[in-house]
Amino acid sequence: MSVDSVDTHRKWQEEELVRMVKGGALFPLCSDPQGEIGKLFGVYDPGPEEDLRATFIIDPEGRIQALEILAGPAGRNIPETLRILRALAHHRSTGNLLPCGWQPGKPVLAPEPGDRHKPAPTWEIWETRNAF
Amino acid sequence: MPVQIGKEAPDFVAKAYHQGTLKKVRLRDYRGRWVILFFYLRDFTPV
Repeated sequence: MSVDSVDTHRKWQEEELVRMVKGGALFPLCSDPQGEIGKLFGVYDPGPEEDLRATFIIDPEGRIQALEILAGPAGRNIPETLRILRALAHHRSTGNLLPCGWQPGKPVLAPEPGDRHKPAPTWEIWETRNAF
Repeated sequence: MPVQIGKEAPDFVAKAYHQGTLKKVRLRDYRGRWVILFFYLRDFTPV
């Protein structure tokens, strides 16, 4: 989603994106010419009249589960977006909690206990080095 | 902030270019699936 027109998106796809990745962008390039959608999401920048560099992860019920906004010259880190998505999806299907730095295969924590359950202490399952 | 973590994202309809075709994208159509929504500054920029 950017403030560019669909025509500019088409040109960008045809002139640059197909040269950067085979097939170009496989997902829709949306147009937000007045920044109305950016404003709805709180990420429109009125100075340069652009949408900010923002990533939203939205769950199957339509709820926002994660949000990142970056300013400046540093680009996003896509593996991190995918990591968070996998963690959220894992929680959704198992109820497990995913600690810092979780990747598939690393230790998970049991769901929040009810009053009658006493979970194992975190330090018996997860060490700080697991975050890296 | 008009949006909050844990709350429903605002619905929208946007014109879009997708693999050679022009279409409308409506967020609500994606219910039942995870969505990653990327806002970015402009086409033809290096970062």
